[in-house]
Amino acid sequence: MKIKRISNGTSGKIGICIIRWVVFALIAFVVLMPVYWIFISSITPPGELFKSPIEYLPKHPSLESYQFLVSHVGLLEKIRNTIIIIGVTLIVGTFICILGAYGFYRFRDRKGVNLAFLFIVATMLIPEVVTARPLYEFMRKVGLFDTYPGLIILYISSIVPFTILILRGFVGGIPVVLEEAAAIDGAGFWQRMRYIILPLMKPAIATVCIINFISCLNNFFTPLYYSNHIQVLSVAIVQLPLRDNMYGVPWDLTSAMGWIILMPIILFVAIFEKQIMDGIMAGGVKA
Amino acid sequence: MYRSKSKAMALLPWLLVLPVVILRAFTTIYPVTKTIRDSFFDIRLLAGKNVFCGFENYIRMFHDPKVLISIQFTVIFVFVSMFFHITLGVLLAMALNMKFKGQRFLRTIVLIPWAMPSVVAGMAAKWAFNNDYGLINDLIRRIVPSFQYNWLIYRGSARAAVIAVDLWKDLPFFAILVLSNLQFISGDLYEAAKVDGASARQCFTKITLPLIAKGVATLCIPFTLWRLTSFDLVYSMTSGGPGEDTALIAYRITTEAFTNLNIGYASAMAVVLFLIMMAFSLINMRITGSKKFET
Repeated sequence: MKIKRISNGTSGKIGICIIRWVVFALIAFVVLMPVYWIFISSITPPGELFKSPIEYLPKHPSLESYQFLVSHVGLLEKIRNTIIIIGVTLIVGTFICILGAYGFYRFRDRKGVNLAFLFIVATMLIPEVVTARPLYEFMRKVGLFDTYPGLIILYISSIVPFTILILRGFVGGIPVVLEEAAAIDGAGFWQRMRYIILPLMKPAIATVCIINFISCLNNFFTPLYYSNHIQVLSVAIVQLPLRDNMYGVPWDLTSAMGWIILMPIILFVAIFEKQIMDGIMAGGVKA
Repeated sequence: MYRSKSKAMALLPWLLVLPVVILRAFTTIYPVTKTIRDSFFDIRLLAGKNVFCGFENYIRMFHDPKVLISIQFTVIFVFVSMFFHITLGVLLAMALNMKFKGQRFLRTIVLIPWAMPSVVAGMAAKWAFNNDYGLINDLIRRIVPSFQYNWLIYRGSARAAVIAVDLWKDLPFFAILVLSNLQFISGDLYEAAKVDGASARQCFTKITLPLIAKGVATLCIPFTLWRLTSFDLVYSMTSGGPGEDTALIAYRITTEAFTNLNIGYASAMAVVLFLIMMAFSLINMRITGSKKFET
């Protein structure tokens, strides 16, 4: 009797183990299969791409689609645009958000400041389609349409509410005593910022930057409607030229462009899994 | 000396917060006001028209078959997608919570759909659902060799495909947020239940579900709002087709505003959408007691 129970227990454990790996395989397949398919499509020569069944191990891998993107679509220029816009957005945006988050938390007992904070949180609710047309006309009028500054202003604006929310929560975790002690020792505002607040906020700033990088890379609406010539990667992928195929979708180029966007994302996710998880759980950001 | 310093101190908070406040005000207050104003005007750029028309835009919208189809699909999209978000999302969260060797790998890969742009998923999906060369039919044909179906040219299957891709991309995100609720449940509870002889199923229905129910309900509000304003996916995957069958309301509004240039009409629709979203959030604040932003 006793022996039977023990063996039951172990077979039950093996059963659970098998179920776990089946679930694991199922999820991994559903998530990774499309990503893998995009990758192999991007290195399959166009001539072999429009074939059925799909060859999941391309026989003649080639970088032809990528070369075409570089030579005819201006891939490098679009990568440069994307890097410039996201880079400046992250630097300037993070800087003003750190100041803002600090101000909002330390002076939260002032009515006006707290109202301003609630205003910023409330603006999270305003969908882009509501503001799009007037903002578009305004940007045109003041000459910011289709310019780097114009796009960067809109990109920064889009990351402000989330960033403020996360960073403000984090400032709350820094004891005021530290600052008071420094102030007594004669440290001015900027010194306290530089030597006390910033070092303590490093992890939060890193998390926010990682998530904002992804959400900027995902931004589609802004570059689609507020610029024309300055193309970023997310817009470029929907405006690829149709080469000689009759199927209506330039899948050869689309998959290559898709992989260019996916590569940094996969790398980022693999390296920063923990920070991203923390950030998502803290703020529930939408990429 | 002292006086001027205290004055500077009084200004300091505003110096700190003004950049972000001004930026957000610039991108929201003026445009929202202008959209509300425009919604009462008949503005057609192509016809060079700009006259006051009262509530005409609002009345017209509920007789416009295109808009009605958009509203219909938006409602279906939100309900079906949210239903699967909740059911599959909880299951996926529990899978991500399994303690075993593959845990970290699993958590990492489910971040990929969340982190990639919707347009990339949409463009890939457009081709994946192609009858002849798409991934979906290719996989099906490996089991049912004679399978032929062109997903995106029929109303029902095109709508199902859009919802499926939306789930593929967003379900992991929902699951991660449910996971953060799961992690708050103390392991002692399960231990105690096991000692009392509870089955795995009882553990799930009597401990897990009640404890995450509120968290999941709270999550539903922002996820519903995001579905209501979903634009990128349909733009890249179906362009609203076949016909107008997958044109979500946000896509409809943008098309009117930027392609057909019926600005007054588009503004009226945007205002209605905005009011619906406000109603949702107010309900949400009532339920959660707006505790989230108090510190």
